[in-house]
Amino acid sequence: MLGYIWQYLYSSLFRLWLKWFLRQITGKCELQRICDGYRQGVARTSRAEYSLECSKSMTLRTAIDVEESGLEQRVTAIMAEKNIRSEKDPMFKTNLKVCLLQINGYRKLYLYVEDLRKQVFESEKKEHEELLLKLWDLLMPSVKLQSRITKQWGDIGFQGDDPKTDFRGMGMLGLTNLVFFSARYTELSRQVLSHANHPKLGYSYAIVGINLTEMAYSLLKSGALKPHFYNTVDGSPSLEHFHQLYCYLAYEFDKFWIEEEPASIMEFNLYRERFHEKVKMLLGEPDVSLSLKLTS
Amino acid sequence: MGLLTILKKMKHKEREMRLLMLGLDNAGKTTILKKFNGEDVSTISPTLGFNIKTLEHRGFKLNIWDVGGQKSLRSYWRNYFESTDGLVWVVDSADKLRLADCRQELSALLLEERLAGATLLVFANKQDLPGALSKDEIREALALENIKTHHWCIIGCSAVTGENLLNGVDWLLNDIAARIFTAD
Repeated sequence: MLGYIWQYLYSSLFRLWLKWFLRQITGKCELQRICDGYRQGVARTSRAEYSLECSKSMTLRTAIDVEESGLEQRVTAIMAEKNIRSEKDPMFKTNLKVCLLQINGYRKLYLYVEDLRKQVFESEKKEHEELLLKLWDLLMPSVKLQSRITKQWGDIGFQGDDPKTDFRGMGMLGLTNLVFFSARYTELSRQVLSHANHPKLGYSYAIVGINLTEMAYSLLKSGALKPHFYNTVDGSPSLEHFHQLYCYLAYEFDKFWIEEEPASIMEFNLYRERFHEKVKMLLGEPDVSLSLKLTS
Repeated sequence: MGLLTILKKMKHKEREMRLLMLGLDNAGKTTILKKFNGEDVSTISPTLGFNIKTLEHRGFKLNIWDVGGQKSLRSYWRNYFESTDGLVWVVDSADKLRLADCRQELSALLLEERLAGATLLVFANKQDLPGALSKDEIREALALENIKTHHWCIIGCSAVTGENLLNGVDWLLNDIAARIFTAD
């Protein structure tokens, strides 16, 4: 309760006084102080994001939704409104631009990912079918698929004879994640698959993959991935960056599962939750970068 | 602890029910569970292992177990039979190809000793899909009329729209309550 009152008072009153006070002493507005005082990454960008969201000025508040093409113009408008001159603060423009690219890029990436997730896998669509077959070929180069509907799909961890029902709520996002991992890290994905097919410690490779897509998606949606993207991408993050994050999760989850040695696959949700907590904890660290690093 | 508290506790404990939800993969078990609990059902992924939710409904505390349905997991179903009051069997009414499989798995379950006392509710799910069989067709396909060992009922429903979920669960609760809570 006290926390809420403090939060309210801080955001409605004290913050404004503090900003005014600091502006008088330093001669710089809040955005300038942020761009100047914090190094590039989550430290700077998330502060800039908060400052812009709370701003009374329309020009600043709506800057977090501006298209990339209108960015230059918007930065100029902000500088005019805040009376910031490039000669006095030469780095400001570049720094703010990076911040805005990261902030807007994250929002755009979510919309793009959401769009892909909503695309249902349809057997009538040739490109969907081709992508599914590509996944098989990448993972099982020496085994030919006997037919499109076959028990063999179980060998790469789908549930039944036809994988199409397994994508469920993750739609084409799940499939593109799986294919990207196998295409970019072919050997590694085969190695993970061989772990997944272990008689004792095994798990359903593709189904776990789709569950990890859900994890990546929900982390993106909640904003939890901001620190990672703000730290690792200098501008607007793309779908490829999201796929890379999925690869990190797929690789790390496999390691985690093997280390933990669960009693059986029935424990999956428990270990998924533990892994999820671990990832969220990493995302709380200021220098977080969830990039796939090969240890061997 | 006073006598009243103890009595209350006992009463509370009595009004707890354990429901086990099974069915083939992609039948919609997790979607039913989430929809019934008022959660978002658009981002579900296949269940590996199980989900458990405890929720209050009509003064009953329901422990609902939702266990994954893929073939390799079915041998684990037996681990969840103990003290089950109600069995919810979920059927994908649009999956005509696997109805025989579905019938076989259900009849095997009904032979299980530890499920002998449980009430059976069959959800003929996905009624919203074009081409879904009606609940009467499902009743026939699964030969439900032959079941003499369990109280049973079949209800056509849609987990996505939520249609008839409540009716099904209410029937199940009434039947279980009549059986186990009428002694006092």
